[in-house]
Amino acid sequence: MSDRTGTVADNLQTRIWRWASSNAIWIVLALLFSVAALLSDAFLRPVYIFNIVRQAAPVGVAAIGVTLVMILGGVDLSVGAIISLTAVLTAVLMDGQVANIPLAVTFALAVGAFIGGINGVLIAYNRISPFILTLGMAVVITGITQIYSGGTARGIVSPGFREFFNFRIGGVVPVLALFFLGLALVGVRLQQTTKFCRNLYLIGSNPQAAELSGLHVKRITIIAYALSGLMGAMAGIALLARSGVSSTFAGRGLEFDVLAAVILGGTTFQGGRGGIGGTIAAVFVLLIAFNLVNIVGLDYNAQLIVKGAIIIIASSAYIYFKKVR
Amino acid sequence: MLLEIKGLTKRFPGVLALEGVDFTAEAGEVHALVGANGAGKSTLMNLLSGVFRPTEGEILIDNRPVQLSSPGVAVSCGVSTVYQEFSSIPQLTVAQNIFLGREPCGKSGILSHKKMRSDARAILDKYNLDLDETSLVETLSVANLQLVEIARALSVDSRILILDEPTAVLSLPEQENLFRIIESLKQQGMLILYVSHRMEEIFSISDRVTVLRDGRKIDTVQTADISPQDIIRMMIGHDIDQSKGLKANSAGDTILEVSFKDRRRGFKVLEGEILGVAGLVGAGRTRLARKLIGLEADEDMDVILHGDKIDPKSPGHAIQHGIVYLTENRKYDGLFANLSVLKNTTASALERFSSYGFLQQKNERQAGTEILDRLHLVASSVDAPISDLSGGNQQKAIFGRALLCNPRVLICDEPTRGVDVGAKEEIYQLLLGLAEQGVAIIFISSEMKELFAAAHRLLVLHEGEIVEDLPTDQLTEEKVLQAATGTAA
Repeated sequence: MSDRTGTVADNLQTRIWRWASSNAIWIVLALLFSVAALLSDAFLRPVYIFNIVRQAAPVGVAAIGVTLVMILGGVDLSVGAIISLTAVLTAVLMDGQVANIPLAVTFALAVGAFIGGINGVLIAYNRISPFILTLGMAVVITGITQIYSGGTARGIVSPGFREFFNFRIGGVVPVLALFFLGLALVGVRLQQTTKFCRNLYLIGSNPQAAELSGLHVKRITIIAYALSGLMGAMAGIALLARSGVSSTFAGRGLEFDVLAAVILGGTTFQGGRGGIGGTIAAVFVLLIAFNLVNIVGLDYNAQLIVKGAIIIIASSAYIYFKKVR
Repeated sequence: MLLEIKGLTKRFPGVLALEGVDFTAEAGEVHALVGANGAGKSTLMNLLSGVFRPTEGEILIDNRPVQLSSPGVAVSCGVSTVYQEFSSIPQLTVAQNIFLGREPCGKSGILSHKKMRSDARAILDKYNLDLDETSLVETLSVANLQLVEIARALSVDSRILILDEPTAVLSLPEQENLFRIIESLKQQGMLILYVSHRMEEIFSISDRVTVLRDGRKIDTVQTADISPQDIIRMMIGHDIDQSKGLKANSAGDTILEVSFKDRRRGFKVLEGEILGVAGLVGAGRTRLARKLIGLEADEDMDVILHGDKIDPKSPGHAIQHGIVYLTENRKYDGLFANLSVLKNTTASALERFSSYGFLQQKNERQAGTEILDRLHLVASSVDAPISDLSGGNQQKAIFGRALLCNPRVLICDEPTRGVDVGAKEEIYQLLLGLAEQGVAIIFISSEMKELFAAAHRLLVLHEGEIVEDLPTDQLTEEKVLQAATGTAA
């Protein structure tokens, strides 16, 4: 980097703004956590904190996958339905037998990835709007889930399945929470270091330029949606592990929680920006806010209002930060 | 005098687009405006239609000075423009498009569809436009689409109609129909300013011709008193310095050969050769490039690289063969606007910097920085967003991207567009340097001067076909322009 005649050093203020605007969600998370800790000392107890992490696992895992497709400039509204389907599927295949666990889990993951792959193929080759396509796919999968389960909660979770995932290591950290945190960390790391993730950013930033630059736009699109489906399946399994009870509508509406977290975390519909780190922080922001409202003693409907308000305020703040820069 | 222009000057930052242009035009006249790419035709047109405001000078209509401060004002002064790009709304009917934004309403503010239809019919009849006012615009042919635009322009009682390259999209019978309409408008006392660079039609339709060159008016002449060759001479000027062949042709073996199964002419490029591609806007230069990199299909085209027939299916595939395309439209398909300079530079070469799918970021950074230093890119850091950079530096980053692919054939489409003079010079030097290393360069440009300065050989395209293929030193700007306008003897 010698001989840069036009070198202009960024001044301190711009640097702080840049840092603050790219880490805004972490600042919000820290503030919210402080408020929560002031209001209730439960938030200072490790067991409670890890409870929140465990609680966050299904939405968080699915949100990692959706973050990938949104960096690419797409969206995946079928994750909620994939969660429902794979949760029921896993329960039915387990059929109460420990020996069936590996098969049930593997098959559920394969089904999730397969559905995501179909999403990806249709989007890559037919240029259908991802919004419409994955919405339609969600409806189809919901129908399949209902037919498959006969509309009732079928399947029996095998003994030990729930206990394993909810076992607290050292009496504090549930295995499920550990899985989730591990996945998040690996995701953040891979996002910075893999060619695949760089390609996601390039395509999301400018698909035409990506094509001209020789990127395999179609192939990467398909893989990204397949990964989103796979993560959706993991979320379904996580949900089943957390609750221990099969239900045909387990994932209903979760796609909106997922979407809210991804957008709040800074991965916008524009594509080419954001990342898994922001998404994870946003998942916790939403969950802590939810818990907080609970602690204060508001009912479920009031919680919805607060949740919606947080999304609106945070998104506005995000736009404001970007403008100021 | 219906229209008079006095000392009209338009200055853009760093560019004098129009300088002291005077001219007059009468009612009942078809007045052609001609000039090579960048001569100032579009600027003049935009000044008259209120898109730009003049830096100096004035425009008089009916001998009264007017301030055409917006397209709306221009229309109310009687100046209507039909642009090359149509602006009709496909989902609406012909009548709805004609009255777009000026829909006739009843007292209650509810649209009067009946009045709209009958008014539209009246306009179409008055000017002999053969259209059904109730058709949906999306069902119309391009030629009829143009008629809708013309009808809309006429519906506001305009007295001056500007047509920008109106025949670019038309077939021959459609052209003749358009000329009939123009003739009838002329009979009705309208002034038609006809912007074009196609000689045949200028001679078949215009009464007078005004020639622009480098933002200045060269002359206005009666069309009947002049030949196409005279106009071409005026378009390029007599005083061109033929600074051709900055360097000896160091070309080696044929690297790329393109031939067509049908009657179209093919071409070759040699190692170390800079092959210039000239042609007017719309002559098919970019399309040829897009076919070479597999973005557009042409079943009759054969591409032979180093003696082997290849069939590039996608830009990625072409890059693997060493054929790299540098876009003419940086914003649309060149820049990753929100990403860093470095990520923009290495986008095409990530394969080289990865092992088992992981990026070796140290290597990436080193190679990217090295190439950008070689290109003298100026930026606060390679991690700065590319959108912070000037046009010239953005272009260098995209050049860097192409160079990291180790091209054997580099197709540069208007590589100096929107960059300042200094950066232009650097880009020429860069192309020469690459050619010396044996890279074959296909250099598409609208600037005749740079083609003559940098290219060893020139292809001239006219209406999608190669009409001339000669070493630069056997060509003159005049010959090129004749070929490009289809007036070659």
